[in-house]
Amino acid sequence: MTVRPLGVEADAPTAGRTVTTSGWSRFWRKNGTGYAFLSPWLLGFFGLTIGPALISLYLSFTDFNLLQAPTLVGDANYVRIFTADPKFLQALRVTFFFVVFSVPAKLVFALLVALLLNRGLRGLPIYRAIFYLPSLLGASVAIAVLWRQLFAGDGLINKLLALIGITGPSWISNPRYALWTLVLLSVWQFGSPMIIFLAGLRQIPQDMYEAASIDGASRWRMFRSITLPLLTPVIFFNAVIQTIDAFKSFTPAFIISSGTGNPINSTLFYTLYLYQEAFGYFRMGYASALAWILLIIIAAFTGLSFLSSRFWVHYDS
Amino acid sequence: MSLRFDRRQFLLGSTALAAAGAVGLKPAFADDTNLRQIFWGSKARADRTTGVNDLFTKANPSDKIATEFYAWNDYWPKLATMTGGGNAPDIIQMDYRYIVEYANRQAIAPLDAFVGKELDLHDFDQDQVDGGKVGGKLYGVSLGANSVALIVNTAAFKEAGVPVPDNNTTFDDLIAAGAAFNKVGKMKVIQDASGVEPALENWLRQRGKALYTADGKLAFDAGDMTEWLNLWKKMRDAGICVSPDDQALDTGPLDQTMVVLGKAAITFANSNQLVAFQALMKDPVTITAFPRTAKGSKGGHYRKPSMFWSIAGQSKLGSDSAKYLSYFVNNIDANKVLGVERGIPASASVRTAIAPGLSAQDQVALNFVSNLGDLLGPIPPPPPSNAGEIDIDLMLKKSQEVAFGQQSPEDAGPDFIKQANDILARKG
Amino acid sequence: MTAEALPLRSRDELRAARRARHRRVSFIAHVILVIASIAMLYPLLWMLSASFRPQNEIFSTGSLIPSSVTLDSYVRGWNELQVSFARFFSNSLVLSLTCVLGNLVACSITAFAFARLKFAGKSFWFALMLGTLMLPYQVTLIPQYVLFLHLGWVNTYLPLVVPKFLAVDSFFIFLMVQFFRGIPRELDEAAYMDGCSTFTIYWRIMLPLSLPVLTTAAIFTFIFTWDDFFGPLIYLNQMQNYTVTLALRSFVDSSAESDWGGLFAMSILSLVPIFLIFLFFQRFLIEGIATTGMKR
Repeated sequence: MTVRPLGVEADAPTAGRTVTTSGWSRFWRKNGTGYAFLSPWLLGFFGLTIGPALISLYLSFTDFNLLQAPTLVGDANYVRIFTADPKFLQALRVTFFFVVFSVPAKLVFALLVALLLNRGLRGLPIYRAIFYLPSLLGASVAIAVLWRQLFAGDGLINKLLALIGITGPSWISNPRYALWTLVLLSVWQFGSPMIIFLAGLRQIPQDMYEAASIDGASRWRMFRSITLPLLTPVIFFNAVIQTIDAFKSFTPAFIISSGTGNPINSTLFYTLYLYQEAFGYFRMGYASALAWILLIIIAAFTGLSFLSSRFWVHYDS
Repeated sequence: MSLRFDRRQFLLGSTALAAAGAVGLKPAFADDTNLRQIFWGSKARADRTTGVNDLFTKANPSDKIATEFYAWNDYWPKLATMTGGGNAPDIIQMDYRYIVEYANRQAIAPLDAFVGKELDLHDFDQDQVDGGKVGGKLYGVSLGANSVALIVNTAAFKEAGVPVPDNNTTFDDLIAAGAAFNKVGKMKVIQDASGVEPALENWLRQRGKALYTADGKLAFDAGDMTEWLNLWKKMRDAGICVSPDDQALDTGPLDQTMVVLGKAAITFANSNQLVAFQALMKDPVTITAFPRTAKGSKGGHYRKPSMFWSIAGQSKLGSDSAKYLSYFVNNIDANKVLGVERGIPASASVRTAIAPGLSAQDQVALNFVSNLGDLLGPIPPPPPSNAGEIDIDLMLKKSQEVAFGQQSPEDAGPDFIKQANDILARKG
Repeated sequence: MTAEALPLRSRDELRAARRARHRRVSFIAHVILVIASIAMLYPLLWMLSASFRPQNEIFSTGSLIPSSVTLDSYVRGWNELQVSFARFFSNSLVLSLTCVLGNLVACSITAFAFARLKFAGKSFWFALMLGTLMLPYQVTLIPQYVLFLHLGWVNTYLPLVVPKFLAVDSFFIFLMVQFFRGIPRELDEAAYMDGCSTFTIYWRIMLPLSLPVLTTAAIFTFIFTWDDFFGPLIYLNQMQNYTVTLALRSFVDSSAESDWGGLFAMSILSLVPIFLIFLFFQRFLIEGIATTGMKR
């Protein structure tokens, strides 16, 4: 590996060595370090990601029931998705709803709690651990049971509501409200973005706040002018990740509806629909087409986010 | 630079390998000394199965069995992945819903060649043998018969002062019991079974119809569907069966059924689930037949294989596997270990041998299946390959749409038939 | 910073005033936090109490206090599946720690390349890297399985571990890139002037300054790996290799008898290690935190 700052042209050759002016050699000298550092990722990307992904793209143009070889059907799958599949539309509706409501709520809670916890309160480690605990439960089957205990017709939430005179419906089994319980489940597990916000807050140098308060700035002003701008890379990161995760969200709907997406498909997340097609009905070709459409949707969304980030994300370097 | 070529080669290589795998070519390093087995269930079943495996290995020291088991929901993706990868275990537990699919795709092997040799089925009930046939060939050995049955909370009936339902109870009897139950006010008489396919099938059979014809078409029409949905709508409106909110809490697992949740005194289930239900409940439960449509109407029930052992289509150990299958369903000691956990044994001599050792509740299940009398009808042909989607998806959703008031039974009937036919017609 | 130029007295006064205000707001903050904590914890408390109940009472009552307390579920659950849970715990531990190592090494190298190094096609690769984030796992599942099958890696931990060393978790790459970008370039440049190699910059400057994000990545990797069941489900065939989360799924079968008490008991136990890991590591987040290099 060369010991010279990057981007600098090669020095004059040392004695005894001839200069190779081939484009390849120059390319390597300029970009070699970069690619050397990138090599593990490149290997993983081509072997484990792009290869399989391209195969699945091929499969999306086939009928493939997993037990026999795939047979090409042209664009039949895509045509069906866009013209004759009400479940597809329903899945999109449910997923968009989920993304639009759960992601902002999750981020807001995560940021608020992170700000609260960042004040150096006593008992900080305990609180932080408590708020992170729900996220530790992950895909546990136990969560489905717990949520049911809370949100069924005679569950705890309704008992609490009864105390203030409201008779609640059976939230989790009513097609109008079931999806909200899943939004709540996602928000309940805000531990991960919270931790990331905390790490980001910790990176903001304290003396900036000291200087500002000496200059007489209010807490709100400090938040707006120091915290928020310096936090924007982290906010951006969390926003993009949580949105992608929300689009891909599978486990909550899977375990709470036992994979059915009921009542009446009101919890049919897109990936749940995909899963049903792939492993429930052995229509892997169709499922692959669905997967690629999801990928394109997410990519479009993420691309837009990145474009917009020029306007509001503030990098130090 | 070598890295670039390696990448491309790797890419080509992995594509080729994956394609080969998709075609089902077997990789070089499959196990060829041990038998591999896979089944669904939980620990209770696993213990019994490994007990039998130990006995088998003792009797056949050169045969070893490596077994794995999964919960129902995980089992099918795992099995499908393994099969698709060319890596399926030799001995596969199979279900009625998937046996046609797997048989038609040659993912499981026909067993006719082994019958009479390694595989002894001489005193099997004929309907249990037939139940494992697809297209005239035998693809699965029945591991036990069960029949549909109602799970009944006897304590609730006692409290309401209504006689516990028996094999002669009709729908009207249940409706009449509603008054007493609503007076007690604790729970409804029965769950809302408008979306339960076995309930519909039973009801249709009593009227001389069926779910599917032998050539895979629907054997009932929109009028039947509307009448069925109206029957349950009547019960819902009169408070005989549970409300749609409550019924929607049941997404499949036993612990979410109305009888376990204490919302109804009757739930539709299978005869071999009695023990599982009782384990979840404080109140005593028993089983009885599905309701009759009218006094004396018969033929609704049938004894179906609860599950099968099949042999993987790709297995190289077919003969050894068949030997194991035969041992599993015929050996007395093995079946003493198995009991009736998977269903009532299909071999008459096995049944006689294990009956005295069964627990009281197991006896109830055994007696029930053996004494269906005029309730018993012939076993229907195996369902067409997309029937699973109609059963677990369309029926449930249609019933929910009607229950929640989104569609009337009169509209739902024709709509259901149309969607069902679309599903049946769908290829791929 | 101009703070150093002011007389000490003003700084002390300001600090005192700030402390008083701090105390008032602290109290309110504590109240909010306590209420929120109860809301967050309630479902877990329910599960805790269910794990101490007899089996047939678990679903009959909704109250938190069990009518009779029994350790039955714990005892039964521990040895429930022919292999004892001690083995499952050690499997999960080994697997999770190895994945942490893989991710920390591979993702930080990759992130360093994206955040700091110049090379042709960087934006293109970066976009692709982000793209992999968006891939639902169902897309790559079957082809990957076939690939690992042909490599002979099925029924081992290799399919679960090797990808980590190949930086497959774009989430962490992206996270580290964002953090690396927040570290001023002047430090790198100064180091180059002093004749440091790129690797030394990575090793001696970038990594130490990134302790918060590395700790975060370590915690998350550990927890994600611990909680992941789909990977182990697909690739592990023998029960003695199962991880805790996979083993837990065998407790409950929707069609037959299930051991809910055992499930809850072992779920509670399985929370303990990851909770402890979290508690231990988060101290690094507080104490071991390097400043971003502004203080000299």
